[in-house]
Amino acid sequence: MSASGGVKCRPSRLLAAGLLLATMAGCSEGAQHAPAKAQGAAMMPQSQVVMFGAGSADEGERLYGQECAYCHAGRNTGTIMLGRRMDPAQAELHKRTDLEPDYVKAVVRNGLVNMPPLSRVEVTDEDLDKIAAWLARNGPK
Amino acid sequence: MTAVIPRRISPAAFGKALDAFRAIVGPPGVLDSDEDRQTYIDPYALGDGLDHDCSAIVAPASTEEVRAIMRVANEFKVPLWPVSRGKNLGYGAASPAEYGNVILDLSRMNRIIEVDVKQAHCLIEPGVSYFDLYRHLTEKKIPLWMSTPGNSWGSVVGNALDRGIGYTPYGDHCEQICGMEVVLPDGDLVRTGMGAMSGSAGWQNYKYGYGPGWDQMFFQSNFGVVTKAGLWLQPEPEMTAKIELAFPKFDDAEWAIDLLADLRRRDVIQHNIVFGSPVRAASVLSQRAEWYDGPGAIPDSACEEMIRKLGIGWWNAKISLFGHASTVKAQVEIIRKLFEPRIGKELNFELWEQGDPPDKSARGIPTTMGLQSVNWYGGRGGHLSFAPVMPSDGKLILDYARKIKAYYEQVGQDYYASFTIGRRHVNNVSLILYDRDDAAMVTRVDQLYRHLVTEAASQGFGEYRGHISYMDVVADTFDFNDHALRRLNDKVKACLDPNNIIAPGRNGIGTRSA
Repeated sequence: MSASGGVKCRPSRLLAAGLLLATMAGCSEGAQHAPAKAQGAAMMPQSQVVMFGAGSADEGERLYGQECAYCHAGRNTGTIMLGRRMDPAQAELHKRTDLEPDYVKAVVRNGLVNMPPLSRVEVTDEDLDKIAAWLARNGPK
Repeated sequence: MTAVIPRRISPAAFGKALDAFRAIVGPPGVLDSDEDRQTYIDPYALGDGLDHDCSAIVAPASTEEVRAIMRVANEFKVPLWPVSRGKNLGYGAASPAEYGNVILDLSRMNRIIEVDVKQAHCLIEPGVSYFDLYRHLTEKKIPLWMSTPGNSWGSVVGNALDRGIGYTPYGDHCEQICGMEVVLPDGDLVRTGMGAMSGSAGWQNYKYGYGPGWDQMFFQSNFGVVTKAGLWLQPEPEMTAKIELAFPKFDDAEWAIDLLADLRRRDVIQHNIVFGSPVRAASVLSQRAEWYDGPGAIPDSACEEMIRKLGIGWWNAKISLFGHASTVKAQVEIIRKLFEPRIGKELNFELWEQGDPPDKSARGIPTTMGLQSVNWYGGRGGHLSFAPVMPSDGKLILDYARKIKAYYEQVGQDYYASFTIGRRHVNNVSLILYDRDDAAMVTRVDQLYRHLVTEAASQGFGEYRGHISYMDVVADTFDFNDHALRRLNDKVKACLDPNNIIAPGRNGIGTRSA
């Protein structure tokens, strides 16, 4: 499963690593170590992550794109950290099916492990309500 | 009533000041509850961060509100700690150097006032993030590029004011600033450069104006609050080429830095070059325990394993070229000819031409990927940067790196190098990663940093930037003529800000005893 050329490693953790290397290592050598399988579905390129939700009719999605996606969409720091302790297919926050609005809001205001809290100046309560509702759209009813 | 009160003022006076702030910015713009204040604690603090707790936050939405806040702060002697967006991670984030300051959060001032496509510049407010500016340029299909730092979460203006860097030809961020609007401590408003003319037609076109250029006075200082800044942007080039060079041996740093620094001085390479060690690469891609989970510093054998598994070198340098196609192709050939015989393999650059996907290019695309490194040890992580400025001499840098690495190993922290090769200097950056909840490690990191700064100063090497907990430590190393620079800074401070209301202690200026 790991394509690290016979070197023993923990696939679940190094999957994202190998994938990154394919982009980081511009020289041909890095490509030999790229894994056979991506983390979950194919990750969107960073230029698209930055534009996530732009122009969406759903304000919650648009705000998520603006305030959260830079870490939680694509191969970014939130995705990688969450991918270490849960199903990599749901490591991007907008793919989660287990989120409830109150949980989202509590994490945003209090932070969680390496996620810093976001202040009410940065994301107002009103905007956070919309983001939380959108993230919970596929969650438990 | 808040739990924290600024030093030297009474709770009653502070209460009145908060009321006056509310009258200026509206109640939602003043935060003083415990819940709100904790969202401003430095997420990378060494320990709980409460030694740098603020007393409240005030968030203006306009320059006029900043001016009014300044007048109130003077009236009640309330010290303000201005932050553009408060994301100066690794240097204290939003937290004040002095306990109990009110954070002046400029995040709501986030207007992109103007982008001049032909002249390639913009005028922005401090709350504009790298993501905001990138989105704006993309949505409006403006063919101008921006430089982005390793952590792009923060403010474009704030990063430039702290002399942050990026990795394109516009990567010396402070050098791209052209014209500023600044609220002075007494509430007066000044525009620098050509902006000093009312109705100026060239504010973002020429940096110096008439007479002394004051702009540098507002970088890494506490002499004013920058409320607008002009920024030069890079016209989209015809072609870019990029590659990551991997140098297999530790000792390769000497020749590689000499060669790269020469190309940088000659502007063949037009950007700051990052020159990083295995832990730098591995800490973004993985966690420490995947390589080594023993005590002490990570051994060389683990680094060798990273080199093998990750397909990297002991040193790794990302090189990008920008320009017309014929120029870029010629520069590719120059670099191939110089490096291929030494590295022993063919260098395959990734080329981008206008119309190709942006990710193929060498342009700055904002990212927070670098923040991943703080998860190296596990737990709530952070990093502190030891970054002495040195002449760009390969042997000097290698010898110094060897010494620093040995010291990391002696105290038991993993060595992480991320040098920056500039036009005439190398920033011998060693990042110190830590788990902020591991008390023993936090103590070790503090001792390590203090030792490194003092030791570097004894060799004539000073830091380019400072963390809120060490602003005096670093300022003390600039000690020519019995700290003449510090005396000058404090004289200017006393003159412009007699009540010391803007960021007391920032960069060692106007520091007050507890």
